Order: sequence, then C-alpha cells, then structure tokens
Amino acid sequence: MSHFMQPSVILLREGTDTSQGTAQLISNINACYAVGEIVATTLGPMGADKLLYSGAGKATISNDGAEILKLLDIVHPAARALVDIAKSQDVEVGDGTTSVTLIACELLNECKTFLEDGVHPQILIAGYRKAALLAVNRLEELKVGVADLKDAGEDGARVLLERVAGTALNSKLICAYKSLFAPMAVDAVGLLKKDDLDLKHVGIKKVTGGSVMESHLVRGVAFKKTFSYAGFEQQPKHIKNPKVLLLNVELELKSEKENAEVRIEDPSLYQSIVDAEWKIIYDKLDQCVKSGANVVLSKLPIGDLATQYFADREMFCAGRVSDDDMERVARATGAQMLTSTNDIPESAIGNCGLFEENQVGGERFNYFTECSATTSCTIVIRGGSEQFVEEAHRSLHDALMVVKRTMENSSVVAGGGAVEMELSRYLRAQARTIEGKQQLVMTAFAKALEKIPRQLCDNAGLDSTDILNQLRKKHFEEPEEGLWFGVDVNAAGICDTFKSNVWEPSANKINSIASAAEAACLILSVDETVRNPQSEQAQMQQRGQMGGRGGGMPMSQAMGGQGLRGMGQAMGGRGVRMMKGRGGK
Amino acid sequence: MSVVFDEFGRPFIVMREQEQRQRLKGLDAQKANILAARTVAGLLRSSLGPKGMDKMMVSPDGDVTITNDGATILNKMEVEHQVARLMVELSQSQDNEIGDGTTGVVVLAGALLEQANRLLDEGIHAVRICEGFEKACEVAVAQLEKISDTVEFSKDNIEPLIRTASTTLSSKIVHRYKAKMAKIAVDAVLSVADLDRKDVNFDLIKMEGKVGGTLEDTELVNGVILDKDWAHPQMPKEVNDAKILLLTCPFEAPKPKTKHKLDIKSADAYRALYEQEQKYYRDMVKMCKDSGANTVFCQWGMEDDSLGVLVQEKLPAVRWVGGVEVELLAMATGARIVPRFEEITPEKLGRAGKVREVQFGTTKERMMYIEDCQNAKTVTVFVRGGNKMVVDEGKRSLHDAMCVTRNLIKDNRIVYGGGSAEVACSLAISDYANTITGIEQYAIRAFADALDDVPMALAENSGLPPITMLSNIKARQVAEENPFIGIDAMGNQEANMKSALVFETLAGKISQIQMANQLAKLILRVDDVLASAGQ
Repeated sequence: MSHFMQPSVILLREGTDTSQGTAQLISNINACYAVGEIVATTLGPMGADKLLYSGAGKATISNDGAEILKLLDIVHPAARALVDIAKSQDVEVGDGTTSVTLIACELLNECKTFLEDGVHPQILIAGYRKAALLAVNRLEELKVGVADLKDAGEDGARVLLERVAGTALNSKLICAYKSLFAPMAVDAVGLLKKDDLDLKHVGIKKVTGGSVMESHLVRGVAFKKTFSYAGFEQQPKHIKNPKVLLLNVELELKSEKENAEVRIEDPSLYQSIVDAEWKIIYDKLDQCVKSGANVVLSKLPIGDLATQYFADREMFCAGRVSDDDMERVARATGAQMLTSTNDIPESAIGNCGLFEENQVGGERFNYFTECSATTSCTIVIRGGSEQFVEEAHRSLHDALMVVKRTMENSSVVAGGGAVEMELSRYLRAQARTIEGKQQLVMTAFAKALEKIPRQLCDNAGLDSTDILNQLRKKHFEEPEEGLWFGVDVNAAGICDTFKSNVWEPSANKINSIASAAEAACLILSVDETVRNPQSEQAQMQQRGQMGGRGGGMPMSQAMGGQGLRGMGQAMGGRGVRMMKGRGGK
Repeated sequence: MSVVFDEFGRPFIVMREQEQRQRLKGLDAQKANILAARTVAGLLRSSLGPKGMDKMMVSPDGDVTITNDGATILNKMEVEHQVARLMVELSQSQDNEIGDGTTGVVVLAGALLEQANRLLDEGIHAVRICEGFEKACEVAVAQLEKISDTVEFSKDNIEPLIRTASTTLSSKIVHRYKAKMAKIAVDAVLSVADLDRKDVNFDLIKMEGKVGGTLEDTELVNGVILDKDWAHPQMPKEVNDAKILLLTCPFEAPKPKTKHKLDIKSADAYRALYEQEQKYYRDMVKMCKDSGANTVFCQWGMEDDSLGVLVQEKLPAVRWVGGVEVELLAMATGARIVPRFEEITPEKLGRAGKVREVQFGTTKERMMYIEDCQNAKTVTVFVRGGNKMVVDEGKRSLHDAMCVTRNLIKDNRIVYGGGSAEVACSLAISDYANTITGIEQYAIRAFADALDDVPMALAENSGLPPITMLSNIKARQVAEENPFIGIDAMGNQEANMKSALVFETLAGKISQIQMANQLAKLILRVDDVLASAGQ
C-alpha cells in the first residue's frame, strides 16, 4: 500500500482520513477493548444485565452478549469484528457469546505490550494460531463424553443435557426457574427428529402477563387465534381426535381471474355468472367437508362465507395462519399442506388427540395437543413485562441451542472458568518447550484465557487475584484431581465445578477459543485504515433506510481461518474503503 | 457517552453517534432505575383499597378519564422513562392475566425496590438480593396456598362469586351499587362460561355504555344491544316472539365479483333489466317472508326499492349491522348466518323473546334491544351513568369484577383481603429468614418488610395510623394464630376479613407477588443503561 502514501501524489479524495502503522493497530485494539468492557459485566451467574434503549422508545434488557453488541450499533471497523464473532458464536453454538468477546479482547490487550516493544504483528499472529490449535486439541482430549458419566445412571444422557441447559441459564434472568426451563429445553429438543434438529420446529410464543412459572411446553402446536370473521364463535372450540386439513388456498368469494372481464348482452344471464362464482367457492368448501376433516387451517384468508359454512357443519377453521405455525402443525399432526381442494387424499389429513381454544393471558390460543408422533413443539413463555418475556426468550434460545449442540456431539467440559484455567496451565507448560518469541506469545494466550475466571470473580464482587492464585496452584499441583476446579461464586472460593454440575458443551468452548483467536489475528493483521468520510455518510443513510438492522453479515466466512484473505478481498473490491467494506452491509 | 481517546491522544469512535449517547453504570444506574420505578409506585399508592382515591387524567386532546384502576391510570399517563414503563407493563400484565389487583402489584414492586435500594446501600450484590427475593417469594406463595380457602359454587349457588366480585368493586366508583353490579358481573360470566373446561371467553360478553340515567340503571341483557335503529321509520317498533333472520348479503340485485359489463342496446333491454331488478327485490323479500322470519338483520345495505317492499310486506329490518354484532346475534339467538337468499330455510332462523327499539329520554338516540333469548351463549352488559367518565369507569369496574369471577371459575381458591394475606406472608417469611444463614437473610427479611407496605398503604388511605395498625394486626395474627386479621378499612369494627367477607382470588394474589418479584429482579439486575439520544 505504500504508494498510496506518496506525499506529492494526491490519490485520495479530500477529507479522507488515513492512519497507519503500530499506532493504528493499537488504536484498533483499544477500540475493541472498550467494547469488551461493556459486555464484561454480564458474564457469569452474578453478571448484571444491560438496559439499552433508543430514542424511539424501544428498550431491551439483556444479558446476552451477542444481543447487546448488536444493539450497541458499533461503527468502529475493527470493533465490528468483535460483534461478528459474537454473532457467529450465537449462530453456531447459541451460548458463550460474552465469553468469546472477552477472550478476543483480552488476547488483543495482551498484544499491546509486544507491539509497543516492536514485535511484528505476524509473529503474534503465528503464535496465537499455534496456541489456539494446541488449546483446541487439548479440549478434545479433556471433554467428557456421555458414556463416561458414571454417576448419572441409566438416564445419563438426559441428566447431562439438563445440566448443560441449566448452566446456560445460570447467568440469565430466569436462572431461578432453571428447574422449569432446563427440562423444558431438553424435552423440546428431544421431540424433534433425531437426524434433523432444526430449532425452527420449536415454536416460541410470548404472552405477557402471568408469572414466568406458567410458561409451558406444548407437545404439539399452539398459536394465537387468527383474525376471524362472523360465525367463528359458532364453531366448535373443543374437538377430540380432530382431523386436520392444511390448505394453501383462499376460501373466499372473489373474482377468480384478476383481469378477466365478462360481457353479457342479456340481463337474464346475469344470474348465471353469479351462480357460477358461488359454485366455485361452494365446490371448494364441499370438498373440504367431504375429506372428513373437521379442522381446516389455511395460510391464506378464509372468508366469512366459509367460516359460516364450516360453522354450520361443526367444523373449525382458521385462516391466515403463519407459515411456521402451519409447518409445525404439519409436523405435529402428520398432515400435508395442500394447494388445491381437489381430490384430497386421506393421507394428507393429519390427526391428533385434542384440539381446543384456550385463554392464555389476554389472548385466545389454539392448541393442538396429544399428538402421538409429533416432531415439533411449542413453548409458551409468560412473564410480567415485554422485556422480561423477550429476555426469557433469548435465554431459552441459548438453552435450546446448547442442548441441541450437546445432543449432536454429546460431550461436555466443566464451566465456571475451570476449563479455561486448565487450558491456561497446559499452554504455559507447552510454551516452555518452545524457543524464541513464540514462547512469550503463547504465555500471553494462556494469560488471556484467565480473563474468564477473573471476570467471574469480579462480577461476583470477589477478590479475583486471590482466587486466581488459588486456582493456578490447584491446577498446577494436582493436574488430575484439580482438573475441573473453577470459581465458586457462592462460597467465594474455588470448587470442582464438574461435581457441582456446571457443565458446558465442549463445542461451545472449542468454537469460542477458535473464533476469538481468529478475530484477534484478523485485527492484528490490519495496520492501516483509510476512511472516506463521504462514503461513510452514504452508508449511514443507507443504514438508516434499512431500519438500523445493525449486525452485519455473520463472520463465518471471514472467520473460517482466512482472516487475511477476507481482508484482501475487501480491499480489492472496494478501493479506498477497505475495512469499512465490512461495516457497510 | 464521552469520546474515548487512545494512547496517542487521538479520539476514536466505537459506536454510532457516540457523543450523544448517555451511559449510566453500576450503582448509579441501579439507583436511578429504582427511583424511577418507585416514583410510579408512589403515584398509585393513594389509589389502593376501598378508600383509595381516583385520578383524573386529561389527554392531549382534552378527553378526561377518571379512574381508580391502576392499569388504566398508568396507561393514560404515557410514561416515557424506560424503567417506569416496565411498571406500566407490569400493571397491564396483571390486568391481562387477572384483571384485578393492578394497583397492588405496582405498590408491591415499588416497595420491593425500595427495600432493595436500602440493601444496595449496605453493599449487598444485586444478584444476591434477587436470590433472597426469589426464596422469599416461594415462601410467600406456599403460605398463601396454606391459608387459602376453597369456595364451592355452582350455577345455583353463586353467593361466593358475588362476594368476591363485591370486594373488587368496593374500591371503585360503583361501590354504592356493588351488590347489583357484582350480580351482573357474575351472571354475565356464568352465562358464557364453560364450567366443565373452566374456560370463559370474554369475547362473548358485550359491554355497551350510554350516557344518561344513573349507574343503578345498568342492566344485564340476555341478548344483544345494537347501536342501530330500524331501517325505515314506518317499521313496527317492537316485535314479540321474534324469528330472526341474519343475512350477510345486501338487499340488492346480485353482482358477480368478476369484472363485468352489461351492454344495453335498446330501450326494451333496459326495461327488461328494470323489470328483473324489481323482481329480484320482491323475490328477496318473499324468500325472507316465506321462511317465517319476522325480523331481518342485514350486514350490508338495502336499496331504497327493496326497503319499500320490506315496509309493504311489514317485515321489519335493520341494515348495516357490523360483523361482530352479526356474530353475537347468531350466538344469542341461535340463528345461522345466511350468505345468500337462496339458502334461507326455517331452521336457520334464530329466536328472541322480544326485539324493540328504545329511545332514550328526550334525545333522538335509539338503540335496538334483542332480548329474552333462550339458551343465549352471549350476553350484553348495558352500563348507564350520568356522564361519560362514569360510564367508562363503570365498564372498567365491571370488567375487573368479571375477571375476578373468571379466575374463581378457573381456580376456586380464595384468600382474604384487607392486607391480611400480605401480613400472614410477611410473618411466614420473617420466620423463614431466621433459618437462613448468609447474606440472603437480609434480602428475605426485606421482602417481608416490602409486603408490609400493602396493609400500610391501605391503612394510610383509610385515614388510620399505619404503623399502629400494622403492628396491631401482626400482634393479633400471631397471638390468635389467625391469618385472617386485616385492616378494617371500612370502619366496620370487624378486623377478621373472613367474617367481613373480603374475598380475593388466590390466583390474583399469587400473580401479584410473583410478578412484582420478577419485575423487581429484572430492574435490579440492570447495572448499565445505554441510551442513544435524540431521534
């Protein structure tokens, strides 16, 4: 890039802000650290929540690192990398978004002294890559599979999952109710198809009002009553063994062809056209009735005529059911969605044990329950305020994701900072076998990992230095028994967190260490930012139009071990905007 | 938030519009949030209980609302502060779920936060306070279940339901007529309730209000009241033993939905068309008449010509009835809704004892009463009152009473009011606190103190010395081992709420305590407030 900087040649537009070199690198690191500090206090069971609000009156209370970073609307190009890794952690694992941000920040912070001393960033990058690889390999060795659990008894897998879900909920607002939510998350994921754990089949409905203890899992489907026409109340609201017909058909009296025009000469033919139109709709309705179904759901509107027609025949109908609800009903009852009412095959009709309409808070809800072979379910979350319910949703989502990940590879490590301490000890030991600067870099990586237990202590108001020393001693002196010792926030000391059931899926830790290292390397590899103010303004406008969606693309591509390459593309493609290219979206 | 500088003194911007953002961190944030929530609670405190005062709210366009209902007050205040808004939502949640106790839940949440504020001053970690509150809340719920009573009721024995509804109404403007109002509320709920499934659909209870008369004229109509009049002034004002036809097609010549065009090329064709239209009108009315119907309700309009035929044939009709009303009419009279004239059959007619048009006082306003319906699955409550504010408040009060009745149908356990349940819980929690070691003990005890705030506010609002009253009650509850002693707000010399017949639903009380606790925890856990300014 050096030719950009020729003093006599003006290459860049006026007002372009360029900065480069170590100073820029350190500035980037500081920006990341400032972001990390914001989320740091949310870590762990004693972490606090953040209240974020925009002038538009939308407030969010959250403990979820990814959510907070998203809402902060970060524009600093380097710091955006952190937002992206938190996001990718959220997408990949669902939990541990705060941890990954913190580790990345701490890795960068450790670099600062090296950079000031003149170590080349590429050496740091190489060292971090190596350390991350070693750490991940060590994690693979350490992880405890479900088969190794001796104390769990027959139901080992379930116990494991519940504990993992419980750990994910520990730091959340709803931690006091984890005895309710952890089994719920496990049940919900357990109902899905074993080979297709897609969480979109776990519907989550949020109804404000009532106590959070009234949240429940529906082994089937529940959705809010759709818009209904006159006659709806005359339909049955409680059907045993209903036969469910799912349609993607509009059941309304309407003109069949958009641009058709009918011309008639003789006024007496008028009636025949009217009759023909009525016949079309009546034929459709008749076919629905003949199919034997007594619950008709459609993605498209079901008009008043159809509503009354069904009401007269003791059938229930609901139109404008949302797409995902329809799919869940299909999976729960075994029905197939039809796009025509002609020749409805018997096999397309689903069934379940019970259909009923119930009151949930201030809303009426349709429930399909007692489904024998359901592969979908719905969780109804209750709570005193919208923010509470929203946060409960986010927390439950974390728990569901964690359960899902654990089901897929069913191995865990101990949380509470234990695994980080162990990795830190291991890396320090490994570092001593390396010659040269890399030794120091690896030690720095080891030190950065200690950020997690340190922050856990700080958030709980404990003396972190003291406890960390205890932990280091324990891990060094008793590598076997002391393996799973972590921070005990309740007793202000240390304990075996594996025994106290603070378990996290190993995939979570592997992903967070790998992506934190990647992000740190990415930021370290940038030594110049060129910012074009005008293009930024254009971007701001563009973003404004997009309704401040924030976020940016998930980093998985760039994070997939090709940080530098990703950067190169951004440069090549967008000229002087360089790093801003990523911020734009 | 201020701009961050790097080590070389250069500012860097991390967030969008960073200079305009405000950030409040740590204890300051917690204190500010608590203060905001307490301010809201303080506003509602004086509305609590039978002697609570009403609030008058004037909206930007001059509409006046006078109410005692916590949820309505907060709703109309248009609170902007984020944490204060949480309190508003809290009371609305209670309103959605239980319908009653919307003031109490806010007062309790405020009291809990006040106590938490004190504990924060003592340096206790917010999460610890939350844990203590949670434990205390569990004890409170257990205690409530222990002291609750089951009331038995059936369709014939509705006395307990009426008593509970009366307790709800006693703090409202309608309390002078509470016996009557409570009966209306209970009757209304019972007529639409599905007692086997314990389900009540409020969509089936219609609330109509009209200014005029007094609250005492409020009535329950076993049918529907429509804000409509007969389509033609010459139609009979009253139909006895009505056979009702509900139509969702207009009294017009049928029209295809498809785009169409009629080419008329000669005067004869034109005449033929006219003839045909006239024939349609006669046929339509004839078909109605043939089915035996003597009243027609139509969702759409009527051509003037067909109206003329209707008058000639002496078939009274109402036009432009809304979709919701059509449905209610169908539910009330048992009629099936008929989509076109060809499908009219005698079986589809509904029945009502009487259909009449009523004119109010000296005004020209008229309303239709469709009443005395057999097996009506829907009812209408018609609220009267001297002015709009009273009518609106009457509606809200009745709604509260109906919600309470519904809750009793769902869960027939009750506790006794007048602060007795709160004091009983407070005592149980204090005892429990003594068995706990650790910091939580402080938080648990604070929860007990917060519960005491409810009877204190009750006493204060009733003009009684709060501290003296509270200590009296506590002493008596312990000495007599009677958890039913509460504040005698009405001055009846009867402190035993069981004998004073002050009933509240267990579900409502539990919900109050749990939701207040959850909200307090939500607010306490926030230690960082980030606001983006402007917009």
